[in-house]
Amino acid sequence: MKIIVADDSRVMRQIVVRTLRQAGFTGHDVLEAENGKQCLDMVLAEQPGLVLSDWNMPEMNGIDCLQSLRAAGSQVPFGFVTSEGSDDMRARAASAGALFLIAKPFSAETFQEHLGGIL
Amino acid sequence: MPTYLPTRKEIRDLLVDLLGREVTLNQSAPFAPGPSEPATLAVYVDDHLQTSAVVVCDLAFSALVGAAIGLVPLAGAEAAIEAQELPQTISENLAEVLNIASSLFNAPEHEHMKLHEVRPAAKGGMAINDRFLALTLGRREDLSIDIAGYGHGLLSIVLVR
Repeated sequence: MKIIVADDSRVMRQIVVRTLRQAGFTGHDVLEAENGKQCLDMVLAEQPGLVLSDWNMPEMNGIDCLQSLRAAGSQVPFGFVTSEGSDDMRARAASAGALFLIAKPFSAETFQEHLGGIL
Repeated sequence: MPTYLPTRKEIRDLLVDLLGREVTLNQSAPFAPGPSEPATLAVYVDDHLQTSAVVVCDLAFSALVGAAIGLVPLAGAEAAIEAQELPQTISENLAEVLNIASSLFNAPEHEHMKLHEVRPAAKGGMAINDRFLALTLGRREDLSIDIAGYGHGLLSIVLVR
Protein backbone atom coordinates (compact mmCIF):
# COMPACT_ATOMS: atom_id res chain seq x y z
CA MET A 1 0.00 0.00 0.00
CA LYS A 2 1.12 3.57 -0.64
CA ILE A 3 1.32 5.64 2.56
CA ILE A 4 1.92 9.40 2.61
CA VAL A 5 3.66 10.80 5.70
CA ALA A 6 3.26 14.59 5.91
CA ASP A 7 5.30 16.61 8.42
CA ASP A 8 7.45 19.72 8.04
CA SER A 9 10.07 18.14 10.29
CA ARG A 10 12.35 15.75 8.44
CA VAL A 11 13.25 13.94 11.64
CA MET A 12 9.59 13.45 12.56
CA ARG A 13 8.92 11.92 9.14
CA GLN A 14 11.83 9.56 9.82
CA ILE A 15 10.40 8.66 13.21
CA VAL A 16 6.93 7.99 11.81
CA VAL A 17 8.44 5.71 9.15
CA ARG A 18 10.60 3.97 11.80
CA THR A 19 7.58 3.49 14.07
CA LEU A 20 5.55 1.98 11.22
CA ARG A 21 8.36 -0.54 10.77
CA GLN A 22 8.63 -1.22 14.51
CA ALA A 23 4.87 -1.77 14.65
CA GLY A 24 5.27 -4.52 12.06
CA PHE A 25 3.81 -2.59 9.13
CA THR A 26 6.53 -3.40 6.61
CA GLY A 27 6.56 -3.69 2.84
CA HIS A 28 4.61 -0.49 2.20
CA ASP A 29 5.59 2.26 -0.22
CA VAL A 30 6.07 5.37 1.96
CA LEU A 31 6.04 8.82 0.33
CA GLU A 32 6.95 11.98 2.25
CA ALA A 33 5.38 15.44 2.06
CA GLU A 34 6.78 18.56 3.74
CA ASN A 35 3.51 20.47 4.11
CA GLY A 36 -0.23 20.19 3.62
CA LYS A 37 -0.22 21.57 0.08
CA GLN A 38 2.38 19.05 -1.04
CA CYS A 39 0.39 16.31 0.71
CA LEU A 40 -2.84 17.39 -1.04
CA ASP A 41 -1.18 17.34 -4.47
CA MET A 42 0.48 14.01 -3.71
CA VAL A 43 -2.74 12.34 -2.59
CA LEU A 44 -4.59 13.44 -5.71
CA ALA A 45 -1.72 12.25 -7.95
CA GLU A 46 -0.72 9.05 -6.16
CA GLN A 47 -4.03 7.78 -4.73
CA PRO A 48 -2.47 6.35 -1.54
CA GLY A 49 -4.20 3.96 0.83
CA LEU A 50 -3.40 6.00 3.94
CA VAL A 51 -2.25 9.49 4.99
CA LEU A 52 -0.48 10.16 8.30
CA SER A 53 -0.25 13.92 8.74
CA ASP A 54 1.04 16.49 11.20
CA TRP A 55 -1.39 19.27 12.14
CA ASN A 56 0.76 22.43 12.15
CA MET A 57 2.65 22.80 8.89
CA PRO A 58 3.64 25.75 6.67
CA GLU A 59 1.86 26.49 3.34
CA MET A 60 -1.23 24.48 4.36
CA ASN A 61 -1.90 22.86 7.72
CA GLY A 62 -3.13 19.32 8.18
CA ILE A 63 -6.79 20.07 8.90
CA ASP A 64 -7.07 22.32 5.82
CA CYS A 65 -5.43 19.57 3.78
CA LEU A 66 -7.99 17.03 5.00
CA GLN A 67 -10.91 19.38 4.34
CA SER A 68 -9.58 20.12 0.83
CA LEU A 69 -9.25 16.41 0.13
CA ARG A 70 -12.83 15.72 1.22
CA ALA A 71 -14.03 18.73 -0.81
CA ALA A 72 -12.24 17.27 -3.84
CA GLY A 73 -14.05 13.96 -3.31
CA SER A 74 -11.13 11.99 -1.90
CA GLN A 75 -12.08 9.51 0.81
CA VAL A 76 -8.49 8.46 1.53
CA PRO A 77 -8.11 7.14 5.11
CA PHE A 78 -6.49 10.05 6.98
CA GLY A 79 -5.02 10.18 10.49
CA PHE A 80 -3.22 12.90 12.40
CA VAL A 81 0.15 12.43 14.13
CA THR A 82 0.65 15.68 15.94
CA SER A 83 2.37 17.25 18.93
CA GLU A 84 -0.85 18.28 20.60
CA GLY A 85 -4.08 16.39 21.08
CA SER A 86 -6.55 18.70 22.81
CA ASP A 87 -10.24 17.74 22.96
CA ASP A 88 -11.01 20.60 20.57
CA MET A 89 -8.48 19.36 18.02
CA ARG A 90 -9.76 15.79 18.30
CA ALA A 91 -13.32 17.01 17.73
CA ARG A 92 -12.29 19.09 14.70
CA ALA A 93 -10.32 16.16 13.29
CA ALA A 94 -13.22 13.75 13.70
CA SER A 95 -15.78 16.11 12.18
CA ALA A 96 -13.50 16.69 9.16
CA GLY A 97 -13.32 12.95 8.61
CA ALA A 98 -10.05 11.90 10.27
CA LEU A 99 -9.91 8.35 11.53
CA PHE A 100 -7.74 9.11 14.55
CA LEU A 101 -5.36 11.59 16.17
CA ILE A 102 -2.14 10.24 17.63
CA ALA A 103 -0.27 12.68 19.90
CA LYS A 104 3.52 12.79 19.83
CA PRO A 105 5.48 11.15 21.25
CA PHE A 106 4.01 7.81 20.28
CA SER A 107 5.00 4.18 20.48
CA ALA A 108 4.82 1.21 18.13
CA GLU A 109 1.92 -0.06 20.27
CA THR A 110 -0.03 3.16 19.63
CA PHE A 111 0.46 2.70 15.89
CA GLN A 112 -0.65 -0.94 16.10
CA GLU A 113 -3.78 0.09 17.99
CA HIS A 114 -4.84 2.74 15.47
CA LEU A 115 -3.56 1.27 12.21
CA GLY A 116 -4.19 -2.42 12.81
CA GLY A 117 -7.50 -2.35 10.97
CA ILE A 118 -6.17 -0.37 8.00
CA LEU A 119 -2.76 -1.83 7.12
CA MET B 1 -4.16 28.13 36.45
CA PRO B 2 -0.68 27.08 37.57
CA THR B 3 1.95 25.81 35.17
CA TYR B 4 2.56 22.10 35.45
CA LEU B 5 6.04 20.88 36.38
CA PRO B 6 6.46 17.49 34.68
CA THR B 7 7.65 14.51 36.69
CA ARG B 8 10.91 12.72 36.04
CA LYS B 9 9.00 9.67 34.79
CA GLU B 10 7.07 11.78 32.27
CA ILE B 11 10.33 13.31 30.99
CA ARG B 12 11.97 9.89 30.72
CA ASP B 13 8.97 8.34 28.93
CA LEU B 14 8.90 11.18 26.40
CA LEU B 15 12.59 10.79 25.61
CA VAL B 16 12.43 6.98 25.40
CA ASP B 17 9.45 7.15 23.02
CA LEU B 18 11.10 9.83 20.88
CA LEU B 19 14.60 8.40 20.73
CA GLY B 20 13.70 4.72 20.70
CA ARG B 21 16.55 3.92 23.09
CA GLU B 22 17.17 3.64 26.81
CA VAL B 23 17.44 6.89 28.74
CA THR B 24 18.55 7.24 32.37
CA LEU B 25 17.75 10.30 34.47
CA ASN B 26 19.50 11.43 37.64
CA GLN B 27 18.91 14.52 39.69
CA SER B 28 21.67 17.07 39.36
CA ALA B 29 22.53 20.45 40.86
CA PRO B 30 20.66 23.39 39.28
CA PHE B 31 22.22 24.03 35.88
CA ALA B 32 23.87 27.46 36.01
CA PRO B 33 25.48 28.24 32.64
CA GLY B 34 28.59 30.40 32.94
CA PRO B 35 28.87 33.71 31.02
CA SER B 36 30.56 32.11 28.02
CA GLU B 37 29.12 28.61 28.30
CA PRO B 38 27.04 27.57 25.27
CA ALA B 39 23.59 26.30 26.25
CA THR B 40 20.23 25.97 24.53
CA LEU B 41 17.18 27.83 25.81
CA ALA B 42 13.65 26.88 24.79
CA VAL B 43 10.92 29.35 25.72
CA TYR B 44 7.37 28.14 26.40
CA VAL B 45 4.44 30.54 26.52
CA ASP B 46 0.83 30.33 27.65
CA ASP B 47 -2.16 31.25 25.51
CA HIS B 48 -1.55 34.95 26.32
CA LEU B 49 2.04 34.64 25.01
CA GLN B 50 3.46 35.11 28.51
CA THR B 51 6.67 33.22 29.13
CA SER B 52 5.80 30.55 31.69
CA ALA B 53 8.65 28.06 31.48
CA VAL B 54 12.02 27.51 29.89
CA VAL B 55 13.97 24.36 29.17
CA VAL B 56 17.73 24.71 29.31
CA CYS B 57 20.09 22.13 27.82
CA ASP B 58 23.86 22.19 28.10
CA LEU B 59 25.87 21.88 24.91
CA ALA B 60 26.39 18.14 25.38
CA PHE B 61 22.71 17.30 25.82
CA SER B 62 21.77 19.64 22.95
CA ALA B 63 24.15 17.84 20.59
CA LEU B 64 23.48 14.31 21.84
CA VAL B 65 19.67 14.45 21.81
CA GLY B 66 19.66 16.23 18.43
CA ALA B 67 21.88 13.50 17.03
CA ALA B 68 20.16 10.54 18.71
CA ILE B 69 16.65 11.39 17.47
CA GLY B 70 17.87 11.54 13.86
CA LEU B 71 20.29 8.61 14.15
CA VAL B 72 23.18 10.97 13.43
CA PRO B 73 26.34 9.02 14.39
CA LEU B 74 27.85 9.83 17.79
CA ALA B 75 30.91 11.28 16.04
CA GLY B 76 28.67 14.03 14.61
CA ALA B 77 27.53 15.02 18.10
CA GLU B 78 31.08 14.90 19.44
CA ALA B 79 32.29 17.15 16.62
CA ALA B 80 29.53 19.65 17.45
CA ILE B 81 30.53 19.65 21.12
CA GLU B 82 34.17 20.15 20.18
CA ALA B 83 33.30 23.03 17.83
CA GLN B 84 30.78 24.50 20.31
CA GLU B 85 28.32 24.91 17.40
CA LEU B 86 25.34 22.78 16.44
CA PRO B 87 25.15 21.91 12.75
CA GLN B 88 21.79 22.68 11.11
CA THR B 89 20.48 19.10 11.16
CA ILE B 90 21.23 18.59 14.85
CA SER B 91 19.83 22.04 15.65
CA GLU B 92 16.57 21.33 13.77
CA ASN B 93 16.26 17.93 15.44
CA LEU B 94 16.81 19.48 18.86
CA ALA B 95 14.08 22.04 18.13
CA GLU B 96 11.68 19.21 17.26
CA VAL B 97 12.42 17.45 20.56
CA LEU B 98 11.79 20.71 22.42
CA ASN B 99 8.59 21.28 20.43
CA ILE B 100 7.21 17.89 21.38
CA ALA B 101 8.36 18.51 24.96
CA SER B 102 5.64 21.18 25.21
CA SER B 103 3.23 18.26 25.73
CA LEU B 104 4.92 17.67 29.10
CA PHE B 105 3.39 20.90 30.44
CA ASN B 106 -0.10 20.30 29.11
CA ALA B 107 -1.58 18.37 32.02
CA PRO B 108 -5.31 18.68 32.73
CA GLU B 109 -6.29 21.63 34.95
CA HIS B 110 -3.04 23.46 34.20
CA GLU B 111 -2.03 26.35 31.96
CA HIS B 112 -1.92 25.41 28.27
CA MET B 113 1.60 25.88 26.94
CA LYS B 114 3.33 25.88 23.60
CA LEU B 115 6.88 26.30 22.36
CA HIS B 116 7.55 29.90 21.38
CA GLU B 117 11.22 29.94 20.46
CA VAL B 118 14.42 27.90 20.64
CA ARG B 119 17.76 29.64 20.95
CA PRO B 120 20.29 26.89 20.24
CA ALA B 121 23.62 26.61 22.03
CA ALA B 122 26.29 28.69 20.30
CA LYS B 123 29.88 29.66 20.85
CA GLY B 124 30.22 32.65 23.17
CA GLY B 125 27.45 31.67 25.55
CA MET B 126 23.88 32.75 26.20
CA ALA B 127 22.46 36.26 26.22
CA ILE B 128 22.44 37.64 29.76
CA ASN B 129 18.64 37.69 29.97
CA ASP B 130 18.54 34.03 28.94
CA ARG B 131 21.04 33.20 31.69
CA PHE B 132 18.82 34.93 34.24
CA LEU B 133 15.84 32.88 33.06
CA ALA B 134 17.90 29.70 33.31
CA LEU B 135 18.94 30.59 36.85
CA THR B 136 15.39 31.16 38.13
CA LEU B 137 15.00 29.42 41.46
CA GLY B 138 11.86 27.75 42.72
CA ARG B 139 9.89 25.17 40.79
CA ARG B 140 12.41 23.45 38.57
CA GLU B 141 13.69 20.00 37.66
CA ASP B 142 17.45 19.65 37.11
CA LEU B 143 18.57 16.44 35.52
CA SER B 144 21.63 14.66 34.25
CA ILE B 145 20.41 12.51 31.38
CA ASP B 146 22.26 9.58 29.85
CA ILE B 147 21.17 8.53 26.36
CA ALA B 148 22.25 4.94 25.69
CA GLY B 149 24.89 4.78 22.98
CA TYR B 150 25.41 8.54 22.98
CA GLY B 151 26.32 9.84 26.44
CA HIS B 152 25.07 12.26 29.01
CA GLY B 153 24.31 15.93 29.41
CA LEU B 154 22.24 18.31 31.48
CA LEU B 155 18.62 19.38 31.07
CA SER B 156 16.69 21.71 33.33
CA ILE B 157 12.98 22.49 33.24
CA VAL B 158 12.38 25.83 34.91
CA LEU B 159 9.02 27.43 35.67
CA VAL B 160 9.50 31.17 35.52
CA ARG B 161 6.04 32.45 36.58
